[in-house]
Amino acid sequence: MAVQTFLFASLIIFSSIESNHGATEVSLFANLENSLEVTAKPTRVGVVLEAGKDMVRITWMLKSSAKVNDDAAFKTVEVKLCYAPISQVDRPWRKTHNELSRDRSCPHKIVSKPYDKIPQSLNWTIDRETPTGTYFIRAYGTDVNGYEVAYGQSSDAEKTTNLFSVEGISGRHTSLDIASICFSVFSFGSLLVFLVKEKRKAKLQQRK
Amino acid sequence: MAPNHSNENGSIGSSLHGVTAREQIFSFSVEDAPWSQAIRSDDPTAKFALPVDSEHRAKVFKPLSFAKPHMRAFHLGWISFFTCFISTFAAAPLVPVIRDNLDLTKTDIGNAGVASVSGAIFSRLAMGAVCDLLGARYGTAFSLMLSAPAVFSMSFVADAGSYLAVRFMIGFCLATFVSCQYWTSVMFTGKIIGLVNGCAGGWGDMGGGVTQLLMPMVFHVIKLTGATPFTAWRFAFFIPGFLQIIMGVLVLTLGQDLPDGNLSTLQKSGQVSKDKFSKVFWFAVKNYRTWILFVLYGFSMGVELTINNVISGYFYDRFNLTLHTAGIVAASFGMANFFARPFGGYASDVSARLFGMRGRLWTLWILQTVGALFCIWLGRASSLPIAILAMMLFSVGTQAACGALFGVAPFVSRRSLGLISGLTGAGGNFGSGVTQLVFFSSSRFSTAEGLSLMGVVAVVCTIPVAFIHFPQWGSMFLRPSQHEERSKEEHYYGGEWTEEEKSLGLHEGSIKFAENSRSERGRKAVLADIPTPETGSPAHV
Repeated sequence: MAVQTFLFASLIIFSSIESNHGATEVSLFANLENSLEVTAKPTRVGVVLEAGKDMVRITWMLKSSAKVNDDAAFKTVEVKLCYAPISQVDRPWRKTHNELSRDRSCPHKIVSKPYDKIPQSLNWTIDRETPTGTYFIRAYGTDVNGYEVAYGQSSDAEKTTNLFSVEGISGRHTSLDIASICFSVFSFGSLLVFLVKEKRKAKLQQRK
Repeated sequence: MAPNHSNENGSIGSSLHGVTAREQIFSFSVEDAPWSQAIRSDDPTAKFALPVDSEHRAKVFKPLSFAKPHMRAFHLGWISFFTCFISTFAAAPLVPVIRDNLDLTKTDIGNAGVASVSGAIFSRLAMGAVCDLLGARYGTAFSLMLSAPAVFSMSFVADAGSYLAVRFMIGFCLATFVSCQYWTSVMFTGKIIGLVNGCAGGWGDMGGGVTQLLMPMVFHVIKLTGATPFTAWRFAFFIPGFLQIIMGVLVLTLGQDLPDGNLSTLQKSGQVSKDKFSKVFWFAVKNYRTWILFVLYGFSMGVELTINNVISGYFYDRFNLTLHTAGIVAASFGMANFFARPFGGYASDVSARLFGMRGRLWTLWILQTVGALFCIWLGRASSLPIAILAMMLFSVGTQAACGALFGVAPFVSRRSLGLISGLTGAGGNFGSGVTQLVFFSSSRFSTAEGLSLMGVVAVVCTIPVAFIHFPQWGSMFLRPSQHEERSKEEHYYGGEWTEEEKSLGLHEGSIKFAENSRSERGRKAVLADIPTPETGSPAHV
């Protein structure tokens, strides 16, 4: 059996050796130019926003301080919802990583639009499946091949300003709660019924 | 049919002669008496589908049969245990969704994992008593049907605290390990009980693997019907809940406590007098070997339980697999139990045949250490294929060690056999709680580091097996005692009874067991021709 496991495992290894060939160019966040100006204004300020209901007005454009041909490489702009540091504490699955392919801090894609020299804006309704947390918006400028070349974000470099909080849906439903109670009662009940029935049978047997 | 040789050297299953201390024992072997053959033709044992011994326990193990009552009890027992494993670890593959829904931190998730295995520490100890009082059927059914509401109540969970509480309550159902092993022990004869219990234990443990496949699949199907992920995972828990209720009903309607009927309707006659719990408890606790096995099982089964909780999330996060794929990889860990645990028990039996108890101890040490070394490798593997290979080798080593451990456990004590099984089982859960708390509940170590460190600690905590010494059989490094008295099995097992108890003949069962355990001398048992020494008890005919 151990031999079979070993053979099976070696099959996996050899068939996957290809996967690391053609190593791709690694994009690092530190190498990106902060040449996009991004703003994010929730429609209701100062309160916790509700997923699926509230909206955020997002705008992005090339910074006025950017040099003339900075945007030559941009083809598309990808706007993403990113976790603020407070939502990353003790949550290694949301860790920021310099290597963009390994970065987990901006998992939620909002929109991907072709780059236009005119300032763009979007009234984005917060996705219903957005988890509870504190966020900011980041836009990546990507080139023809899909690699990030520049970025902009609605918060500062330390990600402490202009953050907004979202409350996710609970996922609970009254119908689910009721079904749960019904089945629990059935479970207890049938156990009791069996106990009582068997006790009665035992009593009858004893009388015989 | 040729009479079986009860003391045949190292026959499979001769290791686990009764897992509990409650079996009827006769002062001489009834099976070998020539007149027992004549009795069989017109006695009620003829109605059983399988050949049985004088206690009506099956002498043959036929896994593909569902014959009443023996094989049926086996299948009901291991499937119930399997179902409980599914429920206990059902949350693990869905953690990536649950952690977003409930805004959990790594500490929250780790603590819930600890809670999920902690409840069983107490319920496993209590289950022994429940089986004695109410029978294995009710023990199993209680476990299944009283924890099913906890499974359903996942639909109410709204934060880290309630999540932890629900996982804790679901974890109580792992007591079915004890009721399952108890049930097979009263249904199958001592010679084959090792293999039967290894299969029941291993196939039940597989539930921890199957759940990693089942839950993401159920979750996916529910999402297809239009539910949001945060509702779908709650609904997915209804499936393990249903399975528990169904199994509970099947156990109560189709199962039977004992080969001759149910506990409450049977007239019990000729029963061995019930031992005092305080004595049984004292002899279990006083024996240092019990605690070494407690630690050892904590780092074989304990590690296995911990991995069931963390491995799916590990593959999801580190290698960027989808929930579904991470589930498949994680499942293969648990599924290896199908052959790995019985293999461990078998390897233990084979090494006992050749080298006696010393062989069993070495087998246990080798399997557990090798498993732990592969665990270290798993944590260090940075490519997916290597990680999977390391995980598979780790799973076989650790799970076989679990099986091998229960090849040693029954010999530690005869009087406190049942309690030692319960304590060892609880040790597994305890070890899992500790490893999850220390290595996987804080951001101090990454999960990968946690895995490697857990492997290192497991290697270290397997070393105590070298200190298990039996005067009559030796230990890993020491030969058996040359002392005339102490080198006899009877001295070791008789030592658990006071002179007063011996004069009442209460220790007869232990003496019989001591005779049978001479097979643990290995090949030397064939050469030794030791008559049962006078124990000072009145002669019983």
